[in-house]
Amino acid sequence: MVSKRLFLTLLIGLASLPAQASLNVFACEPEWADLAGILVPEARMTVATSAYQDPHYIEARPSLIAAMRNADIAVCTGASLEAGWLPSLLRKAANRDIQPGRPGLFFAADQVPLHQPHDHVDRSMGDVHPEGNPHVHLDPDALPRIADALAERLASISPEQATDIQRRLLQWKVRWNLSKAEWRDKADDLKGMTVGVQHSGFHYLLRWLDVDVAFDLEPKPGLPPSASHLNAVLQDPDLPEASAIMVALYQDDRPAHWLSERTHLPVLVLPGTVTGKEAATSLESLLSHLVNELHQLAPKQTVESDG
Amino acid sequence: MKLLKNHASAVALTIFPFTALQANELNPDVSVILDGYYKQNNTALSHREEGFGLGHTELSLSSPIDDLFEGRLTAVLEEHESETELELEEAFLQTTGMPYNLSIRGGRFLSQVGYLNSRHLHEDDFVERPAAYRALLGSHYFDDGLRLNLLLPTPFYWQIGAEAFDGGRMSEGDEDIGVYTVNTRFGGDISRSQSWQAGLSYLNNRQIHGEHEEEHGHEDEHEEEHDHGHGPAYTGENLYIADLVWKWAPEGNNRQQQLTLSGEYLYADDLNEDATSDDVHKGWYASAVYQFAPQWSAGVRYGEVDLKEAHGDHFHDQELEETDVMLAWSHSHFSTVRLQYTHQEAHGFEDADNTVMLQYVMSFGAHGAHGF
Repeated sequence: MVSKRLFLTLLIGLASLPAQASLNVFACEPEWADLAGILVPEARMTVATSAYQDPHYIEARPSLIAAMRNADIAVCTGASLEAGWLPSLLRKAANRDIQPGRPGLFFAADQVPLHQPHDHVDRSMGDVHPEGNPHVHLDPDALPRIADALAERLASISPEQATDIQRRLLQWKVRWNLSKAEWRDKADDLKGMTVGVQHSGFHYLLRWLDVDVAFDLEPKPGLPPSASHLNAVLQDPDLPEASAIMVALYQDDRPAHWLSERTHLPVLVLPGTVTGKEAATSLESLLSHLVNELHQLAPKQTVESDG
Repeated sequence: MKLLKNHASAVALTIFPFTALQANELNPDVSVILDGYYKQNNTALSHREEGFGLGHTELSLSSPIDDLFEGRLTAVLEEHESETELELEEAFLQTTGMPYNLSIRGGRFLSQVGYLNSRHLHEDDFVERPAAYRALLGSHYFDDGLRLNLLLPTPFYWQIGAEAFDGGRMSEGDEDIGVYTVNTRFGGDISRSQSWQAGLSYLNNRQIHGEHEEEHGHEDEHEEEHDHGHGPAYTGENLYIADLVWKWAPEGNNRQQQLTLSGEYLYADDLNEDATSDDVHKGWYASAVYQFAPQWSAGVRYGEVDLKEAHGDHFHDQELEETDVMLAWSHSHFSTVRLQYTHQEAHGFEDADNTVMLQYVMSFGAHGAHGF
């Protein structure tokens, strides 16, 4: 009798465990962990990748399968950014709540129109995504829309938190709009500026800031810079006009430095996403950091805008 | 909430131009693997003949079927003695909507025993599978059957699985369910740069003792005559496999650099009615592959296999030691050219030799998976 009661208590205890525990969120990239963390701060967060990793190239490794198994929602970029590993992860985790078409799988890139969609794509063009450029997390205008959609999704999964989520969303949007106004001010000084890049990771922010891309160190999207391509870049007539070469933390910065030695262009090694450290603790501080780094190189800085 | 809805419709409007593109997604993912090679000499236990040849040319279709099932079809074209054979390597459906992280797969598929067996051959780092795999699993064992996998609710990765197969592709026999397997896998991260996985597998081949004696003797000879690389040439009633994989990439960024160490041990006993407890097949391999730049990797692998070749009521010992060294260049995700040198030392194999191989593996169509 005693053992039966003990067993029952144990069973009930086990069954009620998931209900008591807060939401388990699986974020494919750190930017979405930040955004989800703002809306559901008490959620347990697993981040699959870091700013030091190329999000295209992750493997569906055991720890990620285990995390996906326990997740209530997966927040990812989509637009084929995770095409190499997310489908395999979803299959192996066999979590029926997190499958394509279910509310548990949230794709940020599905919430906003993407830039540069392609009607025709073949692999001779490099690793081009037909849906458009997936690196949408650096677009100051897109993020509030993604946050809206994510808030709605989280509220549908965890209805008891809906009002809290809505409140946090509004607070975040106020802060975001204030920051956006600052970035907009600084963008005025960046007009006409051009930079060199390696991959299209910063594309959305540059476009928003009206900073043009003078050259790309990658010969084709996704291919590492080659010697012949770097020599061609060196002959590029737009090269002398550029203000800097932007490289993301996870990328090999040697090609950029090679070019820098020959052109004296400064190399900016920048976090492509939230690092949790120093300048990039959140999406907001990340964008501020990126804007400030570019602003320091602005060709026509005025005294007022410096503050 | 109203605000949200307004936003949503605005978004829907701006997204509209891309719907034409999305309609395309109803088509299944199609991928084609081209595998060709040049091999200097014939080698023991090999499925690739000397000279120019085609390896495992693969056409694969996969797609969600509905919200509960997904499916995959893989057809393989292989050449054997200038005859082209078309083979269905995979034709399975898998559930995606089962509770408790259960998944069921049915149809024809690669068994999940060991580390390499469930992977496609074109994902390998060397031209051919280790000698132990070639002898005991026919490089990759696939068959018609049913699989049940369960991911346990542990904070680390722990999967258990069982499979039942027809068994006709392992050895000939009359059993309806000729092969059973059970398998478990664990794994996790040691740090941000290191991760690992370990597995234990058991395969029970019921057909070893399931036939009449006369018939068996006859079929043994028959099998030797047309040993064309599908079922394994060496079998036992029990096959045990232990595997271990460890990977290292600075900060986990395997785009730039990655070191992969892997090894497996295979042991088969109860070879047939005449076998004593000393008559067993066993083999192992260890491999190290270092991707030292985004487009380059180099690797070395050593493997051994000790086999018993059945001759009527007794066995002949066979041994093969194999060392492979390879260098591979992958221009993109989708193209690899590989140069490999293989050194074989053997006892009981006439065709053991050293050889140089040049291989290409190219894929087009859908993006392949980056499994662990």
